[in-house]
Amino acid sequence: MSKEIKSGKDVIEEFFSEIYNIDKVDEKTVDALVSLYNEEKLTDKNIQNALEALVLEELNPTKKADE
Amino acid sequence: MNKINSINITGIRGIKNPLILNLKKKSILLYGDNGSGKSSITDAFEWFYYDRVGHLVSEETGATKGKGALRNLFLQSSKDAFIKIEYSKPELSSQKIINSTLRTTQTNTSVEFNKLLIASQSENLILRYKDLVTFIIATKKEKLDKLQGIIGFKQVGVIRDLLRKNAGRIARNIRAAQYDNKKGIQQSIIIGNFGQNITSAQHFFEVANELIKPLKLKIEIKSYKNIKEVLKEIESKEDREIIEKINFHSKVNENLLEIIGNIDSINTDYEAYYNSVADLKKEKEKVEKLQILKLLIEGQKLLQSDIINGDYCPLCQQEKNKTELILDINQRIEELEELKEEKEKVEQQAKDLLQKIQSNTDVLNALISEKLFKKEENAKLQEQTTKIISSLDKYNEELKKNILSEDKILEAITLILKKSNIQKIADDSKYLAKALSESQKKNPKLLIHTKLSLAKQAYGQYNKIIKEEAVLRKQQLTFEALFADFIKRQEQALNIFLQIFSQDINDYYTSMNPNEKVENIKLVPLKDSNNDLVGITIEYDFYDETKSPPIAYLSGSHINCLGLSFYLASVKAFNKQNSFFILDDIVSSYDRPHRTRFARLLTSKFNNYQILLLTHEREFYELISSEVKSKGWLLQDLHWSKENGTVLQIPLVDYKSQIEEKLSNKDINDLGNLIRKYLERQLKIIAFEIEAKVTFRYNNINEKRMAAELLDAVQSKLSKASKELKDLAEIPKMKGIPMFLGNTTSHDNEFQESIGDLEVIWEDVKNLIHYFFCSDCNKFISIKHYDSVEKKIRCSCGDLKYEWKK
Repeated sequence: MSKEIKSGKDVIEEFFSEIYNIDKVDEKTVDALVSLYNEEKLTDKNIQNALEALVLEELNPTKKADE
Repeated sequence: MNKINSINITGIRGIKNPLILNLKKKSILLYGDNGSGKSSITDAFEWFYYDRVGHLVSEETGATKGKGALRNLFLQSSKDAFIKIEYSKPELSSQKIINSTLRTTQTNTSVEFNKLLIASQSENLILRYKDLVTFIIATKKEKLDKLQGIIGFKQVGVIRDLLRKNAGRIARNIRAAQYDNKKGIQQSIIIGNFGQNITSAQHFFEVANELIKPLKLKIEIKSYKNIKEVLKEIESKEDREIIEKINFHSKVNENLLEIIGNIDSINTDYEAYYNSVADLKKEKEKVEKLQILKLLIEGQKLLQSDIINGDYCPLCQQEKNKTELILDINQRIEELEELKEEKEKVEQQAKDLLQKIQSNTDVLNALISEKLFKKEENAKLQEQTTKIISSLDKYNEELKKNILSEDKILEAITLILKKSNIQKIADDSKYLAKALSESQKKNPKLLIHTKLSLAKQAYGQYNKIIKEEAVLRKQQLTFEALFADFIKRQEQALNIFLQIFSQDINDYYTSMNPNEKVENIKLVPLKDSNNDLVGITIEYDFYDETKSPPIAYLSGSHINCLGLSFYLASVKAFNKQNSFFILDDIVSSYDRPHRTRFARLLTSKFNNYQILLLTHEREFYELISSEVKSKGWLLQDLHWSKENGTVLQIPLVDYKSQIEEKLSNKDINDLGNLIRKYLERQLKIIAFEIEAKVTFRYNNINEKRMAAELLDAVQSKLSKASKELKDLAEIPKMKGIPMFLGNTTSHDNEFQESIGDLEVIWEDVKNLIHYFFCSDCNKFISIKHYDSVEKKIRCSCGDLKYEWKK
């Protein structure tokens, strides 16, 4: 029975090991998520902060050019 | 897997003196009347493994998780209460102690033992009767939570919620930002200053070069850095103040235009929210029901936590079967869940709109902090802007109101932000900026500086908005794709589990209920209109028709069978460390055939497990004792007295088998004693059932009745109540046998009878008992079954009956 049934841990680990193969995903966003998962810091607040950081990172080059 | 070699429980609940069960990895059938201390064994186990005793929590208000009621009341405070378990793996053995200050210690502090304790938290070690149907009568959501909990899917649920939450939040952020409006405003500023829209950086530089051509500067604009250089070169100290003013009014105009662009959306959303609230509150009944939902959920928690132990409703105090009450409440909660979802959707509308309004308020607050706002000439403008912020705050106040309260929310019409009012302020600012520019007609440098600087700023903003929106949309798509993939994986894994788990449940249930037309029992996942997994229901085929839920069609006894099947399937699926489990008094509602099949199910399909089967039902005990004994189980009786608490007794069936074994081996050693003890035990039951009176004695001395005294009492009762039975029983013949005439001190003396004498005595004893004991229903004749019409005493089934004078 246990050989066929996947535990919650199995489901999560498989998901993260195959996450880059999922269609229509942005690599930078997935990088941020995987990094939080590996550091065992996958919380709502941390995800939100990481996503905001990605937005700021994208906007910075424009800011530099403006300067 | 781990089994138990021995258990020593001392000073816990009803057990005062050491109660030692030498199990040697074997299963055991334990019989004890109600109050004999069976559940004390279960309580001690629960405390050992889970550090709490659920059903004791209500007996105190402190946070001791039932520990306050754990120690035996008569245990001296200087003595420790404890449970010591020795396992098949000796290194895991441990003793858990609780002293009189309720301080607890585990003697085994090894890493291996701690691992065992942690793993045991998710194993199914104990089933009590009260928990038998918990899963079956649970709501669909509770079933899902329970199963996901035991297969370690809680973390899966957490990640699934994180993915969904973030996908939703990003989508809301995009909507709230209203990028189209923002982009449009920046484009209009560019057009206003450059006379055309800009499609690329190169295009911007070309138009900028055209703009500065009249100034005949030596710089050609090829980059943003060049624009900066140009602006620096054409700016003069004298012009700085007027440029600041022009920029300020342009910014006021720009920001107000952004607000104007969002007003329609805010008003439309508010109107939709108002209508949703009105719809929800239109039917007064709906609101009342939602208020009741809170009460029902509290009631459900109260009943499930065992604070209420009897069969009554804690609110109205009326009698009601507890299981049925929980079931009723669960069904009502499920019905109201839909209404709750409707309410939550409306609340989400409010949250989204609050977020949208907040982004507008942020724009205005940033604007109002500009230093030129503090100048007296702009006092009116400041007042007008503050008024717009206050108007937005009024929306917030309404959106934050409790939608179920009597407090009505205001209609959109009374709040509505009028675009025309704001447009007028924006136009005034635009006019001022333009007027300031025109006042400098003779200053082409300033005019060009203003146009170039405003267009540059707007183009920069435009690009920033484009990039920000693009990143957010990528993030949104990513989270939506991740969520879709994740739920697919979760559902696949859950479905495989449910399929296999269902097969086991079906197998166990049909073993106990063969040929009953209930087949193909399965756990089925349920989804809502958004395709989200919201619960699990139980389906089965009844006369080839699919039915659900079981409560609607199955009897109480069958529901209990289903609960038991679910428990046993859980044991098989999830008990990975401990190869034993306790079944505490779980067969109360089963009839005779079900009981036998249940025993066979345990001995055939769970023969690799060590089972501690506790019962207070003698009939069940006697029915299955030979079945389980033949499979190597131990049998034990429990007895309780105030002086000694719970103690072990040799079970009657063991006396009988020991006697018969000795007779067949012609072994007279202690045989007389065993026959006497057996007779005494049976006579006690007979005396009790026919209400034969004996001399009063205190407590445990009362238990030391000997055969002669009991025979006298029974004979005396029969003389008054039933000549028929008196003649049949021939008690004086038994009284004449010397070994039944001993006193307490001679109780264990050797008897001198030969094997031939003992064979005859044993036949006489059995003959005597068979007049009082019905082998069909396995019950003694009893006053409880007195037939007042026929004036007869009888057994439970009525096969055995005698005339009787009350």
